[in-house]
Amino acid sequence: MSRSRALENIRVVDFSWVRAGPWATRWLGAFGAEVIKIEWPESERGRLPSTTTPQNVEVNLNTSGNFNDTNANKKSLSLNVRNAKGLEIAKRLIAISDIVIENFSSRVLRNWGLGYEELCKIKPDIVYVSMSGYGHTGRNHHYTTFGPVAQAVSGLTYLSGLPDKPPAGWGWSYMDDTGGMYGAMCALTGLYHRNMTGRGQHIDLSQMVSSVPLNGPALLDFTVNGRGSRRAGFPPGNRAHWPGTPLVNNYRGPTVAPHNAYRTHPGEYNDWCVIVCHSDDEWQRLVQVMGTPSWATTERFATVAGRLRHQEELDEQIEAWSRTLGKYELMECCQAAGVRALPVQSAEDRVEHDPQLHHRQMYLAMEHPALGLHKVQNAPFKLSETPASNHLPAPLIGQHTREIVEGLLGYSHEELRAGFEDGTFWPTRRARFPYMEDMLR
Amino acid sequence: MTAAQTLPGPFAGLRVLELADEKGQFCGKLLGDLGADVVKIEPPGGERSRQVGPFLDDIPHPERSLSFWYYNTSKRGITLNLETADGRQLFGLLAATADVILETFRPGFLASLGLDYEALREQNSRLIVCSLTPFGQTGPWRDYLSSDLLHMAAGGEMASSGYEEADAPNAPPIAPGGGNAWHMGCHYAAMAIMAALVHRTVSGRGQYIDASIHEACVLTTEAAIANYIYRGEVLRRQTGRHHAAGPTPRTQFRAKDGTYVCALVGGRLNPKFVKELAELLDSYGMAGDLKDPKYQDPAVIAKNTSHIIDDLIANFIASLPAEEVYHAAQERGFTWGAVRAPEALLDDAHLHDRGFWKQVEHKELGRSFVYPGEAAIYNGSPWRISTRAPLIGEHNTDIFCDELGLSRGELSVLAENRVI
Repeated sequence: MSRSRALENIRVVDFSWVRAGPWATRWLGAFGAEVIKIEWPESERGRLPSTTTPQNVEVNLNTSGNFNDTNANKKSLSLNVRNAKGLEIAKRLIAISDIVIENFSSRVLRNWGLGYEELCKIKPDIVYVSMSGYGHTGRNHHYTTFGPVAQAVSGLTYLSGLPDKPPAGWGWSYMDDTGGMYGAMCALTGLYHRNMTGRGQHIDLSQMVSSVPLNGPALLDFTVNGRGSRRAGFPPGNRAHWPGTPLVNNYRGPTVAPHNAYRTHPGEYNDWCVIVCHSDDEWQRLVQVMGTPSWATTERFATVAGRLRHQEELDEQIEAWSRTLGKYELMECCQAAGVRALPVQSAEDRVEHDPQLHHRQMYLAMEHPALGLHKVQNAPFKLSETPASNHLPAPLIGQHTREIVEGLLGYSHEELRAGFEDGTFWPTRRARFPYMEDMLR
Repeated sequence: MTAAQTLPGPFAGLRVLELADEKGQFCGKLLGDLGADVVKIEPPGGERSRQVGPFLDDIPHPERSLSFWYYNTSKRGITLNLETADGRQLFGLLAATADVILETFRPGFLASLGLDYEALREQNSRLIVCSLTPFGQTGPWRDYLSSDLLHMAAGGEMASSGYEEADAPNAPPIAPGGGNAWHMGCHYAAMAIMAALVHRTVSGRGQYIDASIHEACVLTTEAAIANYIYRGEVLRRQTGRHHAAGPTPRTQFRAKDGTYVCALVGGRLNPKFVKELAELLDSYGMAGDLKDPKYQDPAVIAKNTSHIIDDLIANFIASLPAEEVYHAAQERGFTWGAVRAPEALLDDAHLHDRGFWKQVEHKELGRSFVYPGEAAIYNGSPWRISTRAPLIGEHNTDIFCDELGLSRGELSVLAENRVI
């Protein structure tokens, strides 16, 4: 592509693993940075175990579908940083890089001899982003997280569910996705600041801590009004308010009804459509879309107060109607009339049936050397001058070791071969992939 | 306050104009808390997001919305009616001084006023304009209406979240609360703006960003898309834990105090883990038969998975308060956590150690309130809240008179004509 890139000539040393860190560096790569993923076959849990390898493909370090999507736009250097030679190579790489990013627990890099003070000796203006579970300071810095634990401890899980039921929580590691967002934002702000001032810094990001500000209004309701979220009718499922409980805003937006998910035809697992009316006008438009049934024109549904009070009946009646239509058909009828409605979309729906995503080219296919041609998730924004793009599939493990060690760092081919023999670039007792043999010829 | 905390933030010196409602206000907050001078431009009378509760002491008023307070820290506020000729002219003057404009109007609205990116760029080639809208500037859904709940449906969040039938018969998919569709859109928009800013430090040129909240939500369901693309699987909802192609062991357990613990166990039950688990349970006399050497055999573990999870771990957690399980387990290296209500965070010693909570002064009320602070600690250019949200038109005089040179008389004329 001939267009310029936002992070042209920026090099990132990426020690990150699993999901949150790799999701951060994926975007730095999409913006054009050269992201060099330093990894070791025994320890990258983002590669193995894999539950996203196609059924007809052997499960190995190079065949996780989710790894491929999460690690697009990067190069891979397999390197044992715990051996002195490996550490020296990592340092030489850092010396010619702009950003170091990692998501280990809080003392790992320091224990390797790559704490911030050491990094500064190697590269004085380095931007160092650490993405640990609890941060590098504070009494619980040694605690560990996965997305679900960060979500639980920070209050996010609690905000999802029906009254008097266990929390429904988040059905995935929201804070791995979002932790990745914060990792990328920290790196970009650090880079901006460095470009403006000439100074680098250490940015101590915590997955657990970064979850907490996502509960802002709920927290202010407590610190300002003294009202906690542990109360009758909260959380109110998809509704803005649970009938029969005190009227208190639920931190999602205005308190209105209807505000729920309704079953649609033919009633399969994901056949639901959400309908929300933000005003009496929107409600009246919905009444018309429904064909002005007599129940809907009764006094008790004419006002928002009435609709909130009689929500059980309201939802039942709407669902009796919604069950007669397919979810996309329902959406189109409502939206054409100026009523807020969108279908619950599964992954299949998003990839195959969402005309908006299709139009915006959200999923474009890319060839991966071990997985073949598959769609990869695109950026949710379009930059006019420096578009983010997926230009490299996820690297095979160690795929770029020769390119980096010889081409970038200037080691000889003999040194590369020696490093493969002595366990610097690959465990001595582990079988090499064919492309490694090729690079050693 | 450490020395580093008195330094300017990473975006010090940047001027951001924010024309954003509930969809984009969090993006402006991120940029403002990171040091930018964010000027929020509201319609005369105030942005409609001021009408969203909860309100201070439950007294509804546009200056008392806690939601507005939270999402508009570190901004200054002016009022301006862009649908008047005077309003457009003043906006043009401001745009000439701006580094970033963030707007969430319906697609085409600014263009209809002659204020689209092409026009604004003519007088300021360094300008970055980000339009953050429900579906982006193009496509068949471009003009569709949305809301947080609608985005969680179409984005796929709901398809992944909710209850198993046994836990809540007939329940719909459940959208996680807290307004997170807006957060997702704002995170991606902020990242795109930051990348454009970095690019500008080198190129000297601005650009236009078309950001879509729908696409941001669609991107934020971890491996759900990969499961479909690579294996054709559509994942099922499970109570309080990950979506999955087939049932996986529960991870949420009720503690003695009636709250829950998130205990990640399934998929981790190997001999080493079981030995450590036995030690944890045994420290409370709750190990049952788990210390039996037979559990060092993976086959025995596999056969007893349900016994270990549904009897031993469930009983252990049921015997203790959730916070105690959380800390005892973490101290022994288990990645477990208490499922807390947000208010419990105020008692979290770790957050206090990190100086997370901030006193934010509301001087017109003669009071200060505790706000959640920053996601990360920067040692060279701190991320921090600088001020409370602006009052309606609070900085009209500062901006229109002191900066743009209008007289007080002219300001009065603008107010009388509903321009500000």
